[in-house]
Amino acid sequence: MESIVFGIVWIVLSAIVEWLARIPISHDPLYYTASNIGLMVEHAFDFILVVLIPIFVFVVLGFVWTMVRFRVKKGEKPQLPKHWARSNRWFVGVWVIGSVVVNLLFVLHPTTTATEHFFALEQPSAPQNRHAVVVDVTARQWEWIFSYPQYHLTQTLNANGQDMLELPVNRTVKLVLRSYDPFHTYDQYADVIHSFWVPSWGIKEDVIPGETRILYIKPTKITSFAQNPMSRVQCAEVCGPGHPWMEAPLNVVSASAFQHWIAQQQALQSSSS
Amino acid sequence: MAQTLSTPSSSPDLKTHRASMPPVLRGFLWAAVGFLVFNMAVDIVDPFRGHPFVTGPSATLGWVGALLGWLLGVGAFEGVALPLFGYPSRWRERTVGWRRYFEYSTDHKVIGLQYLGSAMGGFLIAGLVALLMRWELMSDHLTIFHYPSNYLTAVGIHGTIMMFSVANVALLGGFGNYMVPIMIGSRGTAFPKLSGISVWLVPAGILTVLFSPLLGAWTTGWRGYQPLASQDPNGILFYYLGVAALTTSTFIVALNMVTTIMFRRAPGMTWGRLPLFAWGQVTVGLLVLIWIPEIQATFVMGLLEKLVPFNFFTATGSVLSYLELFWIFGHPEVYMIAVPVFALWNEIIPVMSQKSLFAREWAVIGLVFVMLLSGLVWAHHLFTNMRNSEILPFAFFTEMISIPTGFAYMAGIGTMWKGHVRLTTPMLLVLMSMFNFLIGGLTGVFLADPIVNLQLHDTFWVVGHFHYTVIGSIVFTGLAAVYYWLPKMSGRMYSEFWGKFLAITLFIFFNGTFSQFFLLGLHGMNRWVPAYPAYLQPMNFEVSIFAFLLGFAFVGHFVHIIWAWRKGAKAPDNPWQARTPEWFTSSPPPRENFPVQPEIVSSLYIYGAEQPVSVHMSAEQELAAARDSGEGGEYPHG
Repeated sequence: MESIVFGIVWIVLSAIVEWLARIPISHDPLYYTASNIGLMVEHAFDFILVVLIPIFVFVVLGFVWTMVRFRVKKGEKPQLPKHWARSNRWFVGVWVIGSVVVNLLFVLHPTTTATEHFFALEQPSAPQNRHAVVVDVTARQWEWIFSYPQYHLTQTLNANGQDMLELPVNRTVKLVLRSYDPFHTYDQYADVIHSFWVPSWGIKEDVIPGETRILYIKPTKITSFAQNPMSRVQCAEVCGPGHPWMEAPLNVVSASAFQHWIAQQQALQSSSS
Repeated sequence: MAQTLSTPSSSPDLKTHRASMPPVLRGFLWAAVGFLVFNMAVDIVDPFRGHPFVTGPSATLGWVGALLGWLLGVGAFEGVALPLFGYPSRWRERTVGWRRYFEYSTDHKVIGLQYLGSAMGGFLIAGLVALLMRWELMSDHLTIFHYPSNYLTAVGIHGTIMMFSVANVALLGGFGNYMVPIMIGSRGTAFPKLSGISVWLVPAGILTVLFSPLLGAWTTGWRGYQPLASQDPNGILFYYLGVAALTTSTFIVALNMVTTIMFRRAPGMTWGRLPLFAWGQVTVGLLVLIWIPEIQATFVMGLLEKLVPFNFFTATGSVLSYLELFWIFGHPEVYMIAVPVFALWNEIIPVMSQKSLFAREWAVIGLVFVMLLSGLVWAHHLFTNMRNSEILPFAFFTEMISIPTGFAYMAGIGTMWKGHVRLTTPMLLVLMSMFNFLIGGLTGVFLADPIVNLQLHDTFWVVGHFHYTVIGSIVFTGLAAVYYWLPKMSGRMYSEFWGKFLAITLFIFFNGTFSQFFLLGLHGMNRWVPAYPAYLQPMNFEVSIFAFLLGFAFVGHFVHIIWAWRKGAKAPDNPWQARTPEWFTSSPPPRENFPVQPEIVSSLYIYGAEQPVSVHMSAEQELAAARDSGEGGEYPHG
């Protein structure tokens, strides 16, 4: 009887919490998502949240139920039964098999599905990747340097002289990530681990000295650092005292605005050299 | 054997043969001498004369000298070194008084309290450092720290002390040493002398890490990532050395616990009857024995990389190797913290519910499988570093480890169901701990998913996640264990009102602080930053306020515990009507734990109206024991 009442309360509470969870889910629990991979992250996040809510409610309800229903008052000495139940086939069976099933579910979806999807997006031979905008990203202590080899730009800067990344919307970008200090090539300890992260893109990739890593991604929203500060390149792996300031604004613009910006940067570069 | 040690006949002339200086003070003095001697020895052979008096290499070897001086000074000289070389030693172990806690001892109960005291000290120091960090994070630019490397050093000191001298120490060295031998009906541990020395490595390690800024800042955090560590000033050397001392101590604890549980169980204490907490110690002990040597070897390489340098971990060598070697240890480390906690939940729940432990075999299977799987999940710390094809198996095992973890919850909930639950302070703290760990575990499901991990990795989501799993488990359950065993260890009872009041306060402020970390992480707050974009400032400010209140709640608990220890009401020998053997001896237990060798005659977790008493001491033996103690004087009780 007790178990049935518990079960009903559990289902009702789970439904209420699921309903409440629609609020963050409809407002993007990741705050701001502006890339194709970010959308995959958001969907996976929402799915896991929805599946976990009944589990969370079950365990917490178990604790609250215990404190309310099975509590003995101070000094009270209840008669113990001759034998206590030490197992329950149903409870143990459902729990053990249930937890295996839930975990296998997560392994299949979103883990395997999203990861396979991600693998496919990252294939260099994938059609959308063959005409990508290439950006060489160099991480050094403590600066992100962006070069656009297709446009012969060695280092792009904004009006304040900060390194800056600007990209066209809805076009795949090929980021070539390296950790390497072009100004201190004699010091082998100057190349440390950095991590390329754009909070609004939902992805980060460590940048390891001695390795070249490639990330294909497609920005899906026209945005700028001024519009939303999650639109920034941020070092996510501690890399020494300058780590907090190892960031660069990211602007995503329309194709025509991008061409305009490239021309401007090219003019800037030729005038300074 | 050990019996002769406790014969108190030598107590009258004890004082006359004592060293004139208090052992801890002598330890510091000998440590200073040891440092100078070894440091100068290095200076003499240094081919580059004209260096400063203390250099990286000389400080490293000087530290070894200091450690030797410290260990000998606190009592290993008379207790171990002199007898080992065949010299007469007048050393007699103290059996009464507070002074025995401040010198070398072979009594596992004294050692256990020394470990607990060190862990508490480490917790207060590292907690204070955490509050400095939170103070800094109240604003988006540098305020109380003048340089970012100072802040990063504070982050490293906080993490290192908390992990290696609190989380790895409180339940293993502390309650492991004190309780496990009594819980298995043993009258001592397997390696009392080794254990007596190892406990003094903990204060040495804490002080080494705490004073690492003397040699310079280090910016790597508790993981000591290379090649950044080799680029840092020499403070990083004291990180490696302090951690070497602390991990060695943990290794010796594991060796002692596993051996004691295997070979010194009371008659009738079968593996099927073994207390859950002892099961936790065996499984954790095996984890420690496997993985601690691995990280020690890695840190030796890191130290040499810094001193020589070798280019093991630069782009010339292999940068990724350090990360892999660190996390091969790093994830089992998390379960070294959590497994004894799972065990303790199911130790305390049946006692407080006055009900037989539900699904005991599943609870044990859970501990064993968490131990086994913990070595297969480590690369999930490196999803941002892995080729795509390597990610899936680690994501699989990471998700699977929640299954055996869940068994601890299944047993706990099953035990409480329809029980007669006494909501005492330890029980309340256990429930809170299970709630916190649930949050920690469920937020870990998001992190285990590779695609979500690529966004959440290295953000405050991760920081929130591991503070929920670590504080939520070890600190809440550690406090539960202190309250649960306080009557046994001190013979006195805490105040139920203050215990519960402080537990609820702690719970509210803990959740107020760390639940917001998840939102900060989602909103783009990254780790290891004393300065951050301005839009994150309001929530950080709020978090800091909760963090300060949380600090007060911890201090409140410590004050209450110390008050109860000294001034609390007298407690009966078995206030909880528990069935495990530690409750079948006086409070606090005598030097040899039990008057005679007890025998375990029935299950320890089966409650019921007609259950026989679980621990048996034959009348004849008890009489003999009474005669013995009548001849030899009273057993010391304080």
